[in-house]
Amino acid sequence: MSATTVDPWAPADAASGRPLARLNPLAKLVAPLPAMVLLVFARDLATPLAFLALAYVVVLAGARLSARIALLLFVALPAVAVVIGLSMSLWTDPARVGGTTVVQLGGWTLSTGALTVGFATGLRLAAIVALALIAGLTTTGPDLVRASVQQLRVPYRIGYTALAAFRFVPRFGHELDVIRQAHRVRGAHGGRGPFAAAARWWGYLVPLLAGAIRHAERVALAMDARAFGAHPDRTERYLVPWRVRDTAFVLAFWAASAGILISFFPWTP
Amino acid sequence: MTSAVFGAEASTDADHPLPPLVRVRELGIRYEGADAAAPASASFEVGRGEVVLLLGPSGAGKSTLALALNGLIPHDVPAALTGSVEVVGLDTATTPVARLSTHVGMVFQDPDAQLVTGTLLDEVAFGPENLRLPLDEVLTRAEDALRRVGLWERRHENPDRLSGGGRQRLAIACALAMGSPLLVLDEPTANLDPQGIEEVYAALGDLVAAGDRSIVLVEHNLDAVVGIVDRVVVLDHGGRTVADGTVDEVLRMRAAELHDMGVWLPASTLAALRLRAAGWTLEPLPLDPAELHAALESADTSAGGGLHNSSSTTTTAGSAPSEGPSRRSCADDAEAPGAASPLIRVRGLRTRRGRREILHGVDLDVAAGAFVAIVGANGAGKTTLLQSLAGVVPVPRGQVIVDGVDVGRTDLRTLSRRIGFVFQNPEHQFIAHTVFDELAHGLRQQRLPEDEVRERAFDVLGRFGLQDKAGVHPFLLSGGQKRRLSVGTALVAGAPVLALDEPTFGQDRARADELMDLLSGLRAEGTTILVVTHDMQLVTEHAERTIVVADGRIVADAATAAVFADDDLVRAAGLRQPPLRRAFAGLTRHPSLAGVTRLADLPDAAPDERPEGEPADADAAGSAER
Repeated sequence: MSATTVDPWAPADAASGRPLARLNPLAKLVAPLPAMVLLVFARDLATPLAFLALAYVVVLAGARLSARIALLLFVALPAVAVVIGLSMSLWTDPARVGGTTVVQLGGWTLSTGALTVGFATGLRLAAIVALALIAGLTTTGPDLVRASVQQLRVPYRIGYTALAAFRFVPRFGHELDVIRQAHRVRGAHGGRGPFAAAARWWGYLVPLLAGAIRHAERVALAMDARAFGAHPDRTERYLVPWRVRDTAFVLAFWAASAGILISFFPWTP
Repeated sequence: MTSAVFGAEASTDADHPLPPLVRVRELGIRYEGADAAAPASASFEVGRGEVVLLLGPSGAGKSTLALALNGLIPHDVPAALTGSVEVVGLDTATTPVARLSTHVGMVFQDPDAQLVTGTLLDEVAFGPENLRLPLDEVLTRAEDALRRVGLWERRHENPDRLSGGGRQRLAIACALAMGSPLLVLDEPTANLDPQGIEEVYAALGDLVAAGDRSIVLVEHNLDAVVGIVDRVVVLDHGGRTVADGTVDEVLRMRAAELHDMGVWLPASTLAALRLRAAGWTLEPLPLDPAELHAALESADTSAGGGLHNSSSTTTTAGSAPSEGPSRRSCADDAEAPGAASPLIRVRGLRTRRGRREILHGVDLDVAAGAFVAIVGANGAGKTTLLQSLAGVVPVPRGQVIVDGVDVGRTDLRTLSRRIGFVFQNPEHQFIAHTVFDELAHGLRQQRLPEDEVRERAFDVLGRFGLQDKAGVHPFLLSGGQKRRLSVGTALVAGAPVLALDEPTFGQDRARADELMDLLSGLRAEGTTILVVTHDMQLVTEHAERTIVVADGRIVADAATAAVFADDDLVRAAGLRQPPLRRAFAGLTRHPSLAGVTRLADLPDAAPDERPEGEPADADAAGSAER
């Protein structure tokens, strides 16, 4: 998802013609939603593992496997799950979870119970992220906006203005760098500690906001000069229709989710 | 109303052979909270296919007027309107901007502030989509518009990947795609480097050649535009129309009057006015480098000019040959003593930003009191070089010495007493709540007693014409005042060196001139000045020495005239010759004028006004060969 904040228009999979790219973005968001919500309540290892597997199957079958995606799926996400799993195990009070002792260092013990709790947490978060990736890896910002405007009837003035605002992010990042540099040269708010830092950031805020407001006004004038908002709707060059396959995908995914949830009920170790 | 205007098109009206696309009548615009209206009373018309240049001194309200032409004023920007603007008979005060947008397309100054989508094609289609045009019409218009500015091949790219000139061409395509018969361009090249300016004017030239659109142009870079303009409308200080006519009627016949009014004229015209005053006969008055060049090539055939020239030559012939060499020796001065006791000494400078090395071993000496310009294409490393000298970016130890201190080892507080740095946007460096505190900050950092802080701060306020603004918040100053304050804050600690990063970028000519006059004054008092800029005429007018940076290395470092004499070098570095250099270079009839690159090289008063014995360089040089 981080890539979408930098360049929301970078073509994701749209040209590849892979199945997921051809689905409506809303379908990809709605399908895993029930599973993501219910996973919050799961406490075992099997349920999140099953959903993790489901999400991976869907992404690998439906999206083009770029180096970036492969890195994310096979290195980053597992690493995060392991790190969270381990650290949660260390935090868990062994007295409350029981299980046999795996490691004992002085007064501190690591039990199988603690490991289970820790890794259940790690896997749960990983599964939720993996389910979100189904939409995240195969949807562009503009497509999501278009689908929201076309299916959810979000006013296009809001949707497309939000999209235009994405352009501000890198610009303001650059402007903030320059302001920090300029203030450093002036020797503004020297010193360490949270108060000096707060004063420093407050000092950056005024010029940044002044620049941001001016820029936003200019963009607004440029958009109005090109008839933005003239009519209740506008020509859509990219139609993002809700097709039968979108309904089928959502229903199939819900059925699979229900199957997993029912077979592993009550989702405790 | 619309049909009435179209009806008039058929009839042959003697006064207006073309029916007006836009009719501005006694237009006055006063922004909310402003004291006076600017423009106060502008009146003019734009006919079909006409290219109208809107001129006027700074503050006349040219950009405001541009915003009124498609109804953004008063619909989007709150302002009180008197008089009227009619676009094909529609009153802009009552017609929505969206409706007017099909008649008037806009191109603004900042290319970044006009982008809303992710590809060139989407960007151009954005306007037609808003108009609810059918899909194939949207695509036809988008393709046509992109092809006209030469960007069709790049239609799938992100606009961020275009150069500044490319993005401004895209903005023109977007305005074209609206299908409006009139384009209004407000300072379209103010934010561009020389290469970008050239690109945009090539695209505009094609547009004018096609002849299907009217254009209203607000522009300060006149040397590039006079060739494509049909009519010139001039506003005076108060924003009243004082001239409206063809280029010949207004620019050629009334150039001196406009110049006195504070209207910026093409550099070639200013040069020609000076030469005329010195006795040259240049008829008609040249308006661009090519015309001036041609006029000079035929100038000595004119009896009047020749006589005048020879009469002044009799008194000044002795000084004539020294003209060229004297400038060359001035350049030697800049370097020779620099080697002996340089104020700034750079050896093998390698500056990094993150892991990337930007400067690859730069050697440089700058003598005290020099005025040095650092130029180069975008991304060449010129700003990094300037920032390295002032310690704005970290530099390795022992590579930069400024006024006896090693920049790599010195904290910024100490360094601010040696070199002051002025950022491109003055607002970025304001840190206090009043103008006085802004200046006092640098002094208090030196732990000076409060009496002295007050005294010195008020001294600087007086010098920069800000005494009555001491209690004002810096952000509430006018643009010119902000710029002066930013220079003041850089100098208040007593720095003998001032470094400025593109100080005239995005500013109008009058404000740029005001700043350059300020810098010349400081320089006369002994301040050493280093400036990074894209404005080649500014470089040749003010800097005696020019450093050309390309790919992180210095590729040329010599007297300004010598640098610009090497045409291949200038082009290879992504730069362009300043207009005067283009006009004077290669003059075969007056070879001694061929070295002229700046107005100061030309006489600035008529010979009879000049005291006896003072050399009249240019005319003397011009006739010396005879």
